[in-house]
Amino acid sequence: MGIKEVIEMINSMQADGVIERYAIGGAVGATFYLEPVATLDVDVFVESHTEPGSRIASPEPIFTFLRDRGCTMENEHVVIAGWPVQFLPAGSSLLQEALATAVEKDVDGTLARVFTAEHIAAVALETGRAKDKARVLQFVEAGALDLERLQEILARHGLGSDWQQFERQFLKQR
Amino acid sequence: MKLDRTRVLESKRDFRRRLATLPIAEKLRMLDALRVRTLAIRRASISGATKRH
Repeated sequence: MGIKEVIEMINSMQADGVIERYAIGGAVGATFYLEPVATLDVDVFVESHTEPGSRIASPEPIFTFLRDRGCTMENEHVVIAGWPVQFLPAGSSLLQEALATAVEKDVDGTLARVFTAEHIAAVALETGRAKDKARVLQFVEAGALDLERLQEILARHGLGSDWQQFERQFLKQR
Repeated sequence: MKLDRTRVLESKRDFRRRLATLPIAEKLRMLDALRVRTLAIRRASISGATKRH
């Protein structure tokens, strides 16, 4: 049981048309670019089909699909292959862009859609908790970001001042 | 053996760089293992805290 099986299950959900597209973000997404960092769950951002006449996508088809395949619900998570997986709607313009520009990565023959490094950093900066800032710092220290591309993303989504604050707090005294 | 802080830090950075360049499938397997370990530590600390009370 492992993350690769989580990815396979999400791919089959997409192939069956339950979700339109998805991308992995958070700590698992960051692991595609950095050293592995312990995490307890998997964040999957999704774009779902909307019912005719409705503007809000219901998560129910996702849960039904997974329940039918033996997955269990645990609070706001669905447990797939032992991993609590959180399905998150791409509710902001930044997340929509991150989903649209996500890249495909090969995991031992299984394709996974993952946010770009710059989008993971931008989402972390926007979320703004201490552990999110630590993640941004990890990306910077590892030289895993195209800083020009990151600046463009941040400017498009009104996060320029968040970056300046982050720079003052963590990068200026180095 | 001399403990040179600069060298220790450089060695840590080097180790992180090497981990980052591992094949992704291997890094995801490490995440699986890290999660098991984290849960075990969490269970042990919860049980320890319960015993203390």
